Amino acid sequence: MRGLRVPRGLPFVLPYLPFLIVFGIAPTIYALDLAFTNATGGWAWFHNFVRTFDDYRFVPAFKHILLYTSVWLAMLVVIVVGLALLLHGRANRVSSTFRFIFYMPGALAGAASVLVWLFMLDPVVSPGRFLLQHVLGATLFAQSIAPGNLPFIFAMIAFWTGAGGWIVVMYGALNTIPHDLEEAARIDGASPIQIALRLKLPLIRKWIAYMVILSFATGTQLFVEPQLVNEASLGLVPDTWSPNQLAYQLAFRYADFNGAAAIAVDLLFIGLVGAFLIVTRTGLFRTDD
Amino acid sequence: MKINRRAFALVALVAAIAASLVSATAGGAARHAGVSGSLTVWVDSVRLPAAKLYAKTHPNVKLHIVTFDGDGNGATTLQAKIQLWNRTGNGWPDVIFSEQVNDPVWMASKPFDYAANLEGGVFPEKIINQIPKPSIAQCTVNGHLVCVQDNLAPEVLYYNKKLMTQFGYQVPTTWQQWAQIGDDVAKNHPGYIIGTVGDSYGHWLYLWADQCPLSTLKSANTVLINASDPHCTRMASLLDPLIANKSVSDVTVFSPDFAKQYGGDADKVLMMPGPAWYALAVFRDTLKLPAGEWTATTPLRWGTEPVVTGQVGGGPWIISKHTKNMAAAVDFVQWNVAGAKLNTKVANYSAIAPGLPSYTPAATAWLNWLGKDPFFASPPGAAIGKAANQIWQGWGLVTYPDQPVWSNSVVTQLVAGKSLSSLLPALGQGLSQAAQAAGYKVVSK
Repeated sequence: MRGLRVPRGLPFVLPYLPFLIVFGIAPTIYALDLAFTNATGGWAWFHNFVRTFDDYRFVPAFKHILLYTSVWLAMLVVIVVGLALLLHGRANRVSSTFRFIFYMPGALAGAASVLVWLFMLDPVVSPGRFLLQHVLGATLFAQSIAPGNLPFIFAMIAFWTGAGGWIVVMYGALNTIPHDLEEAARIDGASPIQIALRLKLPLIRKWIAYMVILSFATGTQLFVEPQLVNEASLGLVPDTWSPNQLAYQLAFRYADFNGAAAIAVDLLFIGLVGAFLIVTRTGLFRTDD
Repeated sequence: MKINRRAFALVALVAAIAASLVSATAGGAARHAGVSGSLTVWVDSVRLPAAKLYAKTHPNVKLHIVTFDGDGNGATTLQAKIQLWNRTGNGWPDVIFSEQVNDPVWMASKPFDYAANLEGGVFPEKIINQIPKPSIAQCTVNGHLVCVQDNLAPEVLYYNKKLMTQFGYQVPTTWQQWAQIGDDVAKNHPGYIIGTVGDSYGHWLYLWADQCPLSTLKSANTVLINASDPHCTRMASLLDPLIANKSVSDVTVFSPDFAKQYGGDADKVLMMPGPAWYALAVFRDTLKLPAGEWTATTPLRWGTEPVVTGQVGGGPWIISKHTKNMAAAVDFVQWNVAGAKLNTKVANYSAIAPGLPSYTPAATAWLNWLGKDPFFASPPGAAIGKAANQIWQGWGLVTYPDQPVWSNSVVTQLVAGKSLSSLLPALGQGLSQAAQAAGYKVVSK
């Protein structure tokens, strides 16, 4: 049976394959090639990796991204799953209204949302002035985006652009849970909270893992948010805040494509390790349960 | 460099202006009949009205105008683009305007290697000879002239004549007198300010102006950076009490907060050290300060030392060494620098010449025109014109931008309550790291 599934699935992935090869696999191979060679094309072993690691901006950039990704993933898992579970327990009309409301901030994609956030973070014009002043203690834009606040601010921006979409996905996942299971649990005397935590949560575990893998990769590759805030703040935020920005600067300010590729490969490695851990720990691709 | 804040207003003007210019075009077109062909130019939004006027007055030249961010504030737009064009071997624009005064340094060096050498009659000598020496020096990279500055941006001291008289202050000529007024303002007129250090170029206004060696080129690849030099520390010590007593702000003039607190009818700016283009772009158009109160005086000096000043901007025109139409490229730059800015009668002159023109005859015309503007209490022109020759030459232009280092190592900490003196070491270290990353050898003596 398993052998037959492959050719049957092929037409479904076929339209995707050429794009995967041209825009995914080929650039990866190119990056690997650049990362292990020098500017003249000679084999450089790990020289580019050592060199970029020694760069004074390398460690801070990875520290930023570590904190940012942790905060963001934690918010994503707890709040998205929490809200989806809450919604799933509501009557249909209420829940569809809320799904729509949660989804709305996500309609402001990427760069556009950052521009809105720039206003949100400026205490002079922000409708959330009260929060900025009392939570962040900021009366100036420069104080809102103080270095210590940045990982949390970027996590918040990323959360609100992505959360709505994931809530919809999780809601869809919850709908795949057979109704009889829930019914049976209720008859056995489980409370709504028990149903949510003991029954629904384990059944959408793979979806959560899927969300975490994708978000982890996106998180470590953060670029647009710090880049735009850097430009909008006229340089108050360094232009090498995240590793991806550092790679961009190396490539385009210093013409060091090999160094940039080395950082790209670092990020690829981190993404692969992260994905491997999550896949093996959650049994994402196990089909027999 | 910050002039682009007026971009939207200027762009909005263009449509209306284009119509009114038709009558003025005939003469111009006839004069440049010799130039033709197609020409691609990259300009920031501030230079757009002038570029459009060129297109209008030169129908023989097929002008493609591309607007971009101007590469200001240490952006890497042009570095990225030029590298990509170099990789593909085509696509270079014939002429680029950059807001970043140091851009020609890397544009004329490997691996970018974009800027054409303008010597040997490529660009008319009679124009080059009429541009102040400091400006020519800034456009000279590895011994060759590779750009022409569109405008000059020497720093002067602007002051509110009405308020100074009302408060009974003498116009200061030294930093010490200026600081003394600051102390008095804090005590007797709290809320008023005598300057701000919160701009991304604050170090140019205060440290460049006091000959602090943060960017002194010893040779093409060696830069002297010494933030503990007395020229740096004495200025920081002068500023710290003023920042603490709020007579010197730590907010950028371009923030809505600054405009709200000090601009418009609040009218709380008593004095401000600032570059030539502040005259209209900042005081009149950004801060919307009341008319009839402002003027400028010579740059402040340290005690009895000779007058030297800083600089903020002075965006250059760079011609591509890959251009297929050098005649038109030169004509375009020449027209921008020495043609269009001479005619103060043109309807949108303030958009065509937003800053002090580098070409001396145009500068004279511009300063006269500026003096007649009802915004000023008395003509600021004399001080501004003279300051163009007083810019401290010890601040060399380097391939890396230094503003981001000032912004993220100093400004972010000033607003968090640290003193400038305590941040100088971090500034020096940040600049040294940036210099080394860009391939410079850093020395401290």
